[in-house]
Amino acid sequence: MRVLRLSAIWAALALGVGLFVLLGYFVDLGFIQNFRLTFLRWAVLLAAAALVVGLANLLGVHWRKVSLTEEGWIYSGVLILSFTVTLVLALVFRPDGQAALFIFNTFQLPLESSLMAVLAVSLLVAGFRLVNRRRDLLSLLFVGTALMVLLGTGPAPGGAEGPVVIALRDFRAWLSQVWAAGGARGILLGVALGATATGLRVLLAADRPYGS
Amino acid sequence: MTVGGLQGLVVLAVFVALMVGFLAVNQRWPAHFRRIPAYEALRQAIERAVEAGERVHVSLGTGSVIGPESAPALAGLAALTRIARATSISDRPVVVTTGDGAMAILARDSLRSTYQEVGASELYEPTSGRLLGATPLSYAAGLPAVLANERVSVHVLSGAFGVEAGLAADFGERAGLFVIGGSDDVQAQALFYAVAQHPLIGEEVFASGAYLEVGTMHTASLRAQDFVRFGLIVLILLGVIVRTLEGPL
Repeated sequence: MRVLRLSAIWAALALGVGLFVLLGYFVDLGFIQNFRLTFLRWAVLLAAAALVVGLANLLGVHWRKVSLTEEGWIYSGVLILSFTVTLVLALVFRPDGQAALFIFNTFQLPLESSLMAVLAVSLLVAGFRLVNRRRDLLSLLFVGTALMVLLGTGPAPGGAEGPVVIALRDFRAWLSQVWAAGGARGILLGVALGATATGLRVLLAADRPYGS
Repeated sequence: MTVGGLQGLVVLAVFVALMVGFLAVNQRWPAHFRRIPAYEALRQAIERAVEAGERVHVSLGTGSVIGPESAPALAGLAALTRIARATSISDRPVVVTTGDGAMAILARDSLRSTYQEVGASELYEPTSGRLLGATPLSYAAGLPAVLANERVSVHVLSGAFGVEAGLAADFGERAGLFVIGGSDDVQAQALFYAVAQHPLIGEEVFASGAYLEVGTMHTASLRAQDFVRFGLIVLILLGVIVRTLEGPL
């Protein structure tokens, strides 16, 4: 019974706050706008606090792996060590100080760039895999379009002013500005409706991501 | 109130009325949706994972809970409750990862309340809803370890993704897992189409609740969504016709 009452309170709170924030987007009344901004500021603060909780949880997961010497524990150890060093350096020498920038430019930036390079290779392999796995008209069209866009975007060996290069460039522009843009708008329309339905379900307490 | 604001409120009111209306007639007039093979395959993959004692991994993406990109992750949370229920008889409960701290907390709350509802509270572990990395690419970099060490066989990606969608799906494909991926981002959808075994295109990611039978409200909201969409298509076509006729005048 107590659990039931508590869940009703959470649902009522979510409904009330959600309604004020939603109304704030449509109704230009001073007190609604004030409430909306206040709630959004609270949400930003809570999200920041949640990040700290999430990081503590992440450390807890990896600490357990190290202490139980589970498979891959050495990587967890490296994570805990690098996390601690970065945190201490950022706290002592400020987050925008030289030490934090050195870590960012020396480790994080090259690592993330490497991941992007891995993604390029992965997509190439995925293109071949797609044709092999789903040999239907849509997949062939997808890979064919990707190839045409690549050919129309990349540098040409014979210079940028040849008739073939210009034709490819025009074809790429026609593909991306007419077909791709039109298709993307259609998809975005569906996504907007889906997002609205999801939001309204949360607002009506049919979905309770905060637990029931 | 501006005209645009009034129009927005009217559309929302119509949407809510349609949802409530379809909910009321759901028994008498049941919904028949088109087949989405990815969700049919997901159901079978979850059953196989439960039988084999393997784990389902749900990724809620890298979007923030307070941004507009939270919607697909919220849809993913609804699907998560159904997946957690289906896997509650397994020795290995579902594991959830995200790139947002608040979303990780919501995932843990959803798991805890679902396990309580099915009388399997002992399955809940505080580490089953995790923040993997605070940036999109660091999140993607953390995925292979989760997929390998947690004995995952089903890799569900439902949330806001950017270019890291390609990596997140590819890590699952390389490990030979069942991979289903959906996002609100068009670029990420294209990446899922190329990389994932079962991509979700357009608003299919938001239909997970209705297709996985999370609740009647999900079915009603999907019907309302379709209804509003047809209304918009008619309005767009009317607009095209009117502008075309206006042109030469």
